[in-house]
Amino acid sequence: MRRFLLLALVFSFAAMAFSASIPKDTVVIGMNTGIFISFDPAVCYEVEPAIMVMNIYSGLFKLQEINGTIQAVPELAESYDISQDGKTWTFHIRKGVSFANGDPVNADAVVYSVKRVLQLKKSPVWLFESLGLNANNMNETVKKIDDYTVQITMDKSYAPNIVMSIFAESWGGIVDPKVAQSHDVSGDMGSAYLADHSAGAGPYILKSWQRNNMIVLVANDKYWRGAPRIKTIIIRDMPESTDQQLALKRGDIDIAWNLTPEQVNSLKGDPNFNVVSVPAQSNEYLAVNAGWGPFKDVRVRQAVKYAIDYDSIIKNIAGGYAIKVQGFIPYGYLGYVSDMPFDQNISKAKELLAQAGYANGFEVELVTNTTERRRNEAIAIQADLAKIGIKANITIMQASQMYTKMREQGIQMIIAGWGIDFPDPDALAKPFADYRVKQLAWRMMWYDDHAADLAEAAGFELNQTKRVEIYKELTNYWFDNGPFAILYQPLSYWGTRAELKGFDQTAKGYSLAFDLTKMYK
Amino acid sequence: MKLGSYILKRSLLMLLVMFGVLAIVFAIVHVIPADPVGALLGGNAPPDVVERMKEQLGLNKPLFDQFVNYVWGVVHGNLGNSIQSGRPVIRDIEEYFPVTLQLSIASIIISIFFGIFLGIFSAIYRNRWIDHFSRIFSILGVSMPVFWTGLILLLIFYYILGWLPGTGQLSLFVIPPEKITGMILVDSLLEGNWEAFWDGLRHLILPAAVLGYAATASIARITRASMLDVLNQDYIRTARAKGMPKRIVIYRHALKNALIPVITIIGLTFGGLLEGAVLTETVFGLPGLGRYIVNALLVLDYPAIMGGTLFIALVYSLVNLSVDLIYAILDPRMRV
Repeated sequence: MRRFLLLALVFSFAAMAFSASIPKDTVVIGMNTGIFISFDPAVCYEVEPAIMVMNIYSGLFKLQEINGTIQAVPELAESYDISQDGKTWTFHIRKGVSFANGDPVNADAVVYSVKRVLQLKKSPVWLFESLGLNANNMNETVKKIDDYTVQITMDKSYAPNIVMSIFAESWGGIVDPKVAQSHDVSGDMGSAYLADHSAGAGPYILKSWQRNNMIVLVANDKYWRGAPRIKTIIIRDMPESTDQQLALKRGDIDIAWNLTPEQVNSLKGDPNFNVVSVPAQSNEYLAVNAGWGPFKDVRVRQAVKYAIDYDSIIKNIAGGYAIKVQGFIPYGYLGYVSDMPFDQNISKAKELLAQAGYANGFEVELVTNTTERRRNEAIAIQADLAKIGIKANITIMQASQMYTKMREQGIQMIIAGWGIDFPDPDALAKPFADYRVKQLAWRMMWYDDHAADLAEAAGFELNQTKRVEIYKELTNYWFDNGPFAILYQPLSYWGTRAELKGFDQTAKGYSLAFDLTKMYK
Repeated sequence: MKLGSYILKRSLLMLLVMFGVLAIVFAIVHVIPADPVGALLGGNAPPDVVERMKEQLGLNKPLFDQFVNYVWGVVHGNLGNSIQSGRPVIRDIEEYFPVTLQLSIASIIISIFFGIFLGIFSAIYRNRWIDHFSRIFSILGVSMPVFWTGLILLLIFYYILGWLPGTGQLSLFVIPPEKITGMILVDSLLEGNWEAFWDGLRHLILPAAVLGYAATASIARITRASMLDVLNQDYIRTARAKGMPKRIVIYRHALKNALIPVITIIGLTFGGLLEGAVLTETVFGLPGLGRYIVNALLVLDYPAIMGGTLFIALVYSLVNLSVDLIYAILDPRMRV
């Protein structure tokens, strides 16, 4: 009898082995969701949740990749006018559009949503504040004109693409005021509720989020561009990349989000899988502190740039998942400069060091954070610098600790990355060249007024051709003088099941644009 | 000493331990040179935004004030709000702890079962092959990283053989039971949702086996030692000399007494499982308290780290207290 029971048990396990396959209108994603904090557009600021938020909430604009460049195209704003002085924008809201629950999208909703971000003052608020909008002036700057017209007045005349891009991001998502207000808890404007519920007009609805477990999105059949083809998207929390790889191969998930280069390469050539890779919206860079010791001399900064073997880092450390870019404006952006002035040239680097009076080199602390890739980059660059006599001592720290030290201008040399906040060259030129905004250039003490002036001028230039020219001039000046060496622009990559189509279109423009409606089976 | 005053004494000691844990954890998370605002805002935000966020979170106040505020909150049952999620930490714990508890209970059952049997066999067949085998088997359990064992078992039973499901608590299209206790198996039983129960059980097998295996060794070793000790005592020899069958002597006479020290080790092991669940939960994608604390650590979410640690310390102390009480009941000499 006992034996029989045991056999029965084994057989029933084996019988259950063939799990149900994923239906055609459903996509299952394996992803590490540990960093997900909230799906509230006014709170969310991390890459993966933000791209989900952009698919749940429509904004005035939407980011799309068109002919290789990410652009903001009208979404809930059918059209807009800009005043003569370039500061006041009038948005004409698309009529007849409703939120997923049927409530109308109108001027009230737009005004409420913008003010909500300014009032809640969470992580993404500084992007609206960079346009001169804040909680103190919002009643004057963000106004309803009529039911379908909204007027927003910035403090300066920013280049249109800057304004549109900032409003197209996740924090620009329009929230249904009725839902948010009806769930207000002690003045949080429904923020606690919207952390795991949704009130948007985007193509998907957040059906449920069990933290560290599963996120379920369902299609919004009322989406004004038409209901998406995939009706259900399930994101399963899989912290381990190996788990994702196994589940993808078993057919339990359609998309593996966090594979290592080796794991994703192992899928290549197998007809059951596709590998999708797109240029990421970020830069990997090495920076030196222009206010510290030898780096005060521009020749030393140049020597460092000539010492690095960029190709080897891309091939051996990034596993080929990176593009060689040397300007601060990445591939796919307005003002991208394709020049590559720096290749490893040891004798030239040594010569520059000698001219600066450092023929015997010097010692420097090279800081980076704990990720495996950064550690390997630090080791490679340490070896490169050793060839020209610079002894770099590597210090590894937690990212938050590293950035705190950097904000205090306390770093001599650093390897880090810059994730782009909105798809406009201004989101790069300012941090990398304008010390007045107190971002990267300031942190690395590069107080260069010429560079700062150019970056600012380009930000206010309304004529696109002239704007591109200014960025070109700035980039060339920055190549020669700046304290940064761009190591590469990373590629983002995924492993997918072959039956999933259109994911390459979905992922275009990741991590700023990500359109879940483009995929189908 | 009466049992009542014994409990009182132990409870007071426990309070002291809790306060110690609180102070130490608070000191550690505030001494490490990193800051949660940096982790929350990432590398891009300008300095004034960082300052404002610090103010919002009360992190610009002197450390002592922060500590006093925190302790005051804890005394009033408020563990604060998580910096990361903005939710009350107590609510997060409520959500995540049942998963860890279910895993730990399943693991302790596995480790008690295997640990005691291996221990008994080792003792009976001392220095024979069965003894060597059981010792090697259990030592392997402690020495192999949970992380590695987990992945290997997944590779074999999920990927290659396909006998068991992969990560998570339930298969995708199985309807989960209504949340009552938060433990899927218990809830699905209460609801009579057999599909969820069966599926949940299958999902639990690998993580519980991995975690339970690691804990088997200590139980096996104590059982063996204690059993050997008892087997050499006079009353056992007498029993055998009277002609009582070996089986009865071992299971009825020897085991009962040999198990007393084993109870202590089971209590300690159970507490250890709660912590050890961290890696298992990561490998098997389980939304438990361990993974919650790890995520909190990565972004230095002070209230979540402290709340989570404090809670685990409390459970640990409670488990130990109950073990001691059982012990005191079983063996009155302990109450002195």
